[in-house]
Amino acid sequence: MNSIADELQRRHQLAELGGGQKRIDAQHNKGKLTARERLLLLLDENSFTEFDALKQHRCQDFGMAGQQFPGDGVVTGYGHINGRLVFVFSQDFTVFGGSLSETNAEKICKVMDKAMEMGAPLIGLNDSGGARIQEGVASLGGYADIFLRNVEASGVIPQLSIVMGPCAGGAVYSPAITDFIGMVKDTSYMFVTGPDVVKTVTHEEVTAEELGGASTHATKSGVCDITFENDVEAMRQTRRLFDFLPLNNLDSAPTYPCDDPFDRHEPSLNTLIPESDTQPYEIRELIEKVVDHRDFYEIQPDYARNILIGFGRMEGKTVGIVANNPAVLAGVLDIDSSRKAARFIRFCDAFNIPVITFVDVPGFMPGTQQERGGIIKHGAKLLYAYAEATVPKLTLITRKAYGGAYDVMSSKHLKSDLNLAWPTAEIAVMGAKGAVEILNRREIASAEDPAVEALKLETSYKERFANPFIAAERGYVDEVISPDSTREILCKSLRMLENKSVKKPFKKHGNIPL
Amino acid sequence: MLKKILIANRGEIACRVMETCQKMGIATVAIYSDADKLAKHVSMADEAYNVGPAPTAESYLQIDKIMEVINRSGADGVHPGYGFLSENAEFSRRLKEAGIAFIGPDEKAVAAMGDKITSKRLAAEAGVSTIPGFDGVIQDADQAATVAAEIGYPVMVKATAGGGGKGMRVASGADDIAEAFRAASSEALSGFGDDRVFIEKFIVQPRHIEIQVLADKQGKTLYLNERECSLQRRHQKVIEEAPSAFVTPEVRQAMGEQSVKLAQAVGYHSAGTVEFIMDADKKFYFLEMNTRLQVEHPVTEMTTGLDLVEQMIRVASGESLSMSQEQIGINGWSMEARVYAEDPARGFLPSIGRLIDYKEPSGEGVRVDSGTFEGGEVSIYYDPMIAKLIVWGKDREQARQRLMEALDSFDIRGVTTNLVFLNALVSHPAFASGEISTGFIGEEFPDGYSGDGGNDQQKELFAVIAGYLRAETRLRAADVHASDADSPWKILKRTGSAS
Repeated sequence: MNSIADELQRRHQLAELGGGQKRIDAQHNKGKLTARERLLLLLDENSFTEFDALKQHRCQDFGMAGQQFPGDGVVTGYGHINGRLVFVFSQDFTVFGGSLSETNAEKICKVMDKAMEMGAPLIGLNDSGGARIQEGVASLGGYADIFLRNVEASGVIPQLSIVMGPCAGGAVYSPAITDFIGMVKDTSYMFVTGPDVVKTVTHEEVTAEELGGASTHATKSGVCDITFENDVEAMRQTRRLFDFLPLNNLDSAPTYPCDDPFDRHEPSLNTLIPESDTQPYEIRELIEKVVDHRDFYEIQPDYARNILIGFGRMEGKTVGIVANNPAVLAGVLDIDSSRKAARFIRFCDAFNIPVITFVDVPGFMPGTQQERGGIIKHGAKLLYAYAEATVPKLTLITRKAYGGAYDVMSSKHLKSDLNLAWPTAEIAVMGAKGAVEILNRREIASAEDPAVEALKLETSYKERFANPFIAAERGYVDEVISPDSTREILCKSLRMLENKSVKKPFKKHGNIPL
Repeated sequence: MLKKILIANRGEIACRVMETCQKMGIATVAIYSDADKLAKHVSMADEAYNVGPAPTAESYLQIDKIMEVINRSGADGVHPGYGFLSENAEFSRRLKEAGIAFIGPDEKAVAAMGDKITSKRLAAEAGVSTIPGFDGVIQDADQAATVAAEIGYPVMVKATAGGGGKGMRVASGADDIAEAFRAASSEALSGFGDDRVFIEKFIVQPRHIEIQVLADKQGKTLYLNERECSLQRRHQKVIEEAPSAFVTPEVRQAMGEQSVKLAQAVGYHSAGTVEFIMDADKKFYFLEMNTRLQVEHPVTEMTTGLDLVEQMIRVASGESLSMSQEQIGINGWSMEARVYAEDPARGFLPSIGRLIDYKEPSGEGVRVDSGTFEGGEVSIYYDPMIAKLIVWGKDREQARQRLMEALDSFDIRGVTTNLVFLNALVSHPAFASGEISTGFIGEEFPDGYSGDGGNDQQKELFAVIAGYLRAETRLRAADVHASDADSPWKILKRTGSAS
């Protein structure tokens, strides 16, 4: 009996060591933690329980038979984050470069299946060189097994991918399907084809970092939702994000203990909107002063910065926040910002998270670049997402709500539950200058001094439209509120909307303009 | 007593004056520019009137518009604060004509003290010690040597058209005087196109000490002791205190009595300040007299227990001062730090913007005079002073400790401030021991200040604070309700209601 116990201990020790001390040192030298160290930081103390620690690959080709590492390059199991169940897999770069084998994929699929049965989120820590070439199609099949499960789980349990090393080729499509992708600066990259292939095919010289590093995906492609300075921060921040999310689509988001008064007034918000309607201001200030404890978890902060998305809490309960950002491109809606917000709203809707929308939007971005890029279809995604969402929807117009963008930004007409406006709101088809140029073209042209006449007409247009009254008279705005009471009114409204339930017509699924 | 006072100013001083008016039951009238519509002084006042666009020349300095507001509002007195129209003879004259009380000295006193040469002559005549010097133009090096010997070395050869440190040379003895004369006049010629120079006593390690005087219209004149304002940056006072750690009772009395003499000589009434420069031997020399309420007046209020604005209003109303010189004591110690929206790391460049966060410190012995609020704006149009932080302690060290703590707990975000620089000054060993001079900031902080990163003890403290906050967040997070127990997941799934 002793010998079996000894053997078990030996194998566990081997599994603990992954690819061996030398490779662990190499990993550390790159500024990266090992698969197991990462899980230690991600999960509550002593909460990790492993599956398949002794699983081994079955490959006989290319001399693989003699090379066995218990666990086969991925650490899987479950644990807790602040006491809440989560399933995890963590790819081990020290074992065959973290490459995905048939058995390795089986391990990942096992935790994914468990997560789906238990209704608990899945977090994947990616650090893999790609397919295990020695296994050929068995390895490719493994990828597809994972993709299928990612798709099935989408909208059922939250899925987070944290890319902490290479993630290239077909491997990228698992994170791509998941809800949020985090990337560690300087040590992670994601691309469909690497710099060598790029050079052969398109003759472009590009580094891995430029092609698919964290900053590329965080600022240019929008693939990356959150960037982290290093592995430690990545794990701590992932815990923070996890705390905002419900376990599954039948659950509510967790309630955080909150001692921030629901009726906290912020007189400083009364002066947030500048005198001139073309002057930018910082919408983050409004968000931070409205949510609990100023705790706002921004998603994609460096991508399409003309719109802001992220999570906050009101009276301890998670809310999703979407806000036009007047400080960037006047908060205009364009292709990128529409896509960014639309996907976020759909996540919130899938997971019972109320959406609060702060509107200050001058319209859609004009130009050939936008039209040829398909702004029509991309803008429609945002419209679709808002209209389709059945979670509580609250909208506050702080300043401009012009034209079609007014409709799109969670207007009353899209079944928003509560539409509020600050006294500074201007709800109109367009700004005064543009409107007058169209409405009064002849009067202006025939005036003695066209400039003076235009200004006069603009002023009268502003008096008529640059306020929330017309919308309020029609009930498109439920209430015009004093900015300092914003938090109180939003909190009260969320309490009222807590049990909102809407019946939707039967459909297999809608056909969002992808 | 005046019934309704118009405050011809903005910012902290307007608010400060209104506070006293409110205390005395006097109605207040504010004036404001377009940029100040939402300012604190406007909301504090009983009535407020717009006097024009943001630039001061088009609003706060518009005498005609202000006269009109006085007329409309029915104000019977005007407090000018400091700056703006506080020492404007035309404004005083117009008020007098209209029969409105100007809460400040008579225009003649203002005029007499407003001119550097006249004021110096009047001071000398009144027996106030002035900087020994030769007030004529020096013709050549020989004359320079003779004059310098009479004054006594070290001396300063100064361009008459000078300023900004140019055309100034110090001669420490007879050997340097010819060279100093030559250098100063040639620099004056190239710098100002005027090579005329004069000579005066050079003050080694000068300290700026000033005497607060208070006089009524009946002829009673008191001195409310001194303030030391040696911590200056480019002639701008940064930290002020009362009393001075350097002044002895004998010197105080001599300075006070001379100041009273000067005030009486010009028929002064209301509050005023006689500024002196003092050398290392505690010899003091008259600089100028400020015929208005000073920015740093609160340190005098904190140590004398008098409300200077109240006294000014009473004097302007014709009341006589109710206290005697013997009753003016010094109770404890007070310091004032001027909190500016400026960046000490970048040459004290003014910083403008919205005050996203603004929380004033409070506590025992802490007073904040400010004219702004959270959500307010530091604009390009006006002085970037955000607030004056004033503390009182039973002695200098307690006041200093309280000032450091208050500076630390001042929470301002949205603009860059000089708070860390102020704290560096106050916690400097030289300031702690009182060994300061007007050159201190220039010598110790020639390139401004960008923080010292903290000492080990401070770093440890920060680590403790960070640890505490982390523990607090962790405790909060650990309490997240996982509604697993009554989760609809298993119920709906098991019954097949949700697939």
